[in-house]
Amino acid sequence: MTAPNPKTTTEDLFAALDLAVFEQADGNLFRLVGHLPAWQDLHPGDKERIDLTDRFPLLEVFFPECEATWDTGEPSQVHSDIWTEPDPRGGELYLQAVASRAGGGRFLILRSLPQALYTYQQLAHDFELEKEKVERLTRELERKRAEAERATEAKSTFLATMSHEIRTPLNAIIGMADVLSGTTLTAEQKKCVDISQHNGVALLNLINEILDLSKVEAGHVELERIGFDLAEVITRAMEVVEVRASAKGLYLRQSIAPGVQVRLIGDPNRLRQVIINLLGNSIKFTEQGGLEVRVETDPAGSEPGRLRFAIVDTGIGIPQNKLGTIFESFSQADASTTRKYGGTGLGLTISKHLVELMEGRIWVESKVGEGSTFFFTARFDVDTDQSERRNAAQVATTPLADLETAIGGLHILLVDDTDYNRFLILAYLRDAKPTVEIAENGQIGLQMFQAGHYDVVLMDVEMPVMDGPTATREIRRWEQERGLEATPIYALTAHAFTEMIKRGLESGFTDILTKPIRKMTLLEALARCTKGGAAGNAMTTGATPEPAAEPVAVAVPQAGGRIRILVEEGMEDVVPSYLEKRRAELPVYRQALEAGDFEAIRRMAHKTKGTGTGYGFPALTELGAVLEQAAMRGDGATIGDKLSEYALYVGNIELQYSKR
Amino acid sequence: MLKKKICLLGSYGVGKTSLVGRYVHSMFADKYHTTVGVKIDKKVLPVNGEEVTLMLWDMAGEEDGAPVKLNQVKDASGYLLVADGTRGKTLDIARSIQERVTKEIGARPFLLLVNKADLRETWEIPETAWAELAGAGWTVMETSAKSGERVEEAFLTLSTRMLAAQNDGSESEDDD
Repeated sequence: MTAPNPKTTTEDLFAALDLAVFEQADGNLFRLVGHLPAWQDLHPGDKERIDLTDRFPLLEVFFPECEATWDTGEPSQVHSDIWTEPDPRGGELYLQAVASRAGGGRFLILRSLPQALYTYQQLAHDFELEKEKVERLTRELERKRAEAERATEAKSTFLATMSHEIRTPLNAIIGMADVLSGTTLTAEQKKCVDISQHNGVALLNLINEILDLSKVEAGHVELERIGFDLAEVITRAMEVVEVRASAKGLYLRQSIAPGVQVRLIGDPNRLRQVIINLLGNSIKFTEQGGLEVRVETDPAGSEPGRLRFAIVDTGIGIPQNKLGTIFESFSQADASTTRKYGGTGLGLTISKHLVELMEGRIWVESKVGEGSTFFFTARFDVDTDQSERRNAAQVATTPLADLETAIGGLHILLVDDTDYNRFLILAYLRDAKPTVEIAENGQIGLQMFQAGHYDVVLMDVEMPVMDGPTATREIRRWEQERGLEATPIYALTAHAFTEMIKRGLESGFTDILTKPIRKMTLLEALARCTKGGAAGNAMTTGATPEPAAEPVAVAVPQAGGRIRILVEEGMEDVVPSYLEKRRAELPVYRQALEAGDFEAIRRMAHKTKGTGTGYGFPALTELGAVLEQAAMRGDGATIGDKLSEYALYVGNIELQYSKR
Repeated sequence: MLKKKICLLGSYGVGKTSLVGRYVHSMFADKYHTTVGVKIDKKVLPVNGEEVTLMLWDMAGEEDGAPVKLNQVKDASGYLLVADGTRGKTLDIARSIQERVTKEIGARPFLLLVNKADLRETWEIPETAWAELAGAGWTVMETSAKSGERVEEAFLTLSTRMLAAQNDGSESEDDD
């Protein structure tokens, strides 16, 4: 650009410094003293009288600021703002003017600033803009997440409402059937009631499972953290399937490896639910041999509370290609299994979710024809404080008669607007004979409470005029104002959602009884309100789905293969003879089988199916159903197997009567 | 010839340089290109039958620690406040600049350009903001330097107002 020229060494110096220097000639007109390399390109032509403001409009703003310096030399320099000029050679030039006074001359220096100025600013802005973009996307995601949450919330509310709507009438249906079965009935009527009870309970279980799954999937399940005894949880789980195992002649074993910590902190009810689900599933598909629950410290983990459970069966096994999908909703290994073995297939899905909540995983290993082993791992804390351990897995098993005696003296206020609910509660309490007064809504209930004296209040939640929570809050306030001790108030609700229950407890309810309420549950709850609390401290919280109810009698398993059946009040006269008849039927079945008279077997089995549960033997109903099906198919082999189980079952039953 | 100075003010990255580029050179570049200091461009525009040279001062975007240089706005006849519809906070910055300009150097004709109208579906200007602006009597135009939407109209509208204000102003000066 600038050719070396011995006469213009000053210009070379200016060039090297990236400067142009001007001296003011007249107003905005300047004389070029020396220049930066691009100057010639920026301003070709006259060098003596250059109108700088015309060329660089920014200087119009700057020159007024320069006057003091030019006139007096104070301050010695003034800097202009930076501006951008297109570089005629491409790109941009970043310029700044500096005014100064030297030797009486008024000088203006133009500096070209380094490109780094641009680079830094560009980088900073690029960074800020990217940051804003990320923030914007984050806000957008957050908004979408909140939207999804609202949708889930709506789904939960819908489910809670629906479950309430379904459970309330179901409560009445099952409860009425319970009541009806305790009255004197003809055989035909008895059969109808049995079917009604059986199907009602089955429907209730299905609703509970669907509800449970929805809750787990919606993330609404929160695990409890309480101390429990591992061995007891397993025993309790096994008790639930004991009857079915006995009916099939299957052994049930449990083994806890040495060194496994049994005093744990976690959610025993959810653990029990998983084990029951897996045992129930295995039993369905196991016809001989048996089941075993094994627990060991997780070989893959190092913490003492990380356990591995194995439910080992000797059943039909699962084909290799189905192993991956059996934990998905409604996906039993074979669609036909649902018809043949029953069940919704939801139990495994729920178990998978629960196990994941317990920070574990679930999987299955299986060989067709040899059996399956369901494994799951879970993490618990080891309970070091055993002195005050409250055993959550323990459910009160005080005999019915003791309970009834205990609550006989109670003065109960029943607040419920639905007459069949009131009737059901009254029917449950008929034999215990406590004093029960009835209020049709919360308002009346409140007035009666204030006027009378009650040991316990049973309070429906949803009622006209004044609902249960409001009445309860009012009662609690009234009590506080008078310095009275809080009277136990039990909420009766078909709402099974935890939030609903929390809200209820906030209103001042002592506890919540989830409908359909079973007789034993009610009696145990009431017994807790008596002096000394006949049922001890065991709390059945409403949050825990009640195990499928055993109608009429309660099966209490016992060591040595004996099946102890508790005969319910009022059934003492009929149950023994019923059982004798079933025992006597065995040789008749065998003869019919030998003779190939499947129709006779079908008829007998059908009758047994219809009546077993009603008399306290749900296993007989199950066996009857399988026998009936086999007879219709003419399947002699299955009938032979089932008759052995039948014999085993009826032969080992030991009837128990409540003392009264 | 009549010469009028217009400043473009707003946060960085809202499209001030792009609006000038579209208006003066009919060009648009997708890539963001920061402005160092101020970039001054010219455009001759016939307004009401009169040729006006617009001096367009495309000023570096305001950012934390670098507020708009009010000394450069002082002798402007009007200004364009530019906001980016996809970045809600740039509207707040535009409003804050307008406040400072009015307070420090007095009222000038101005328009608010909410730019990037080509990305309208991703805008995040709340409904309430539009209502507030309308309530304050602001003229708001939704522009796109990319598509050219309402760009010419914006400069013309402001120029017309500036000339009208000048006439009003000279009358009032005469009164003094």
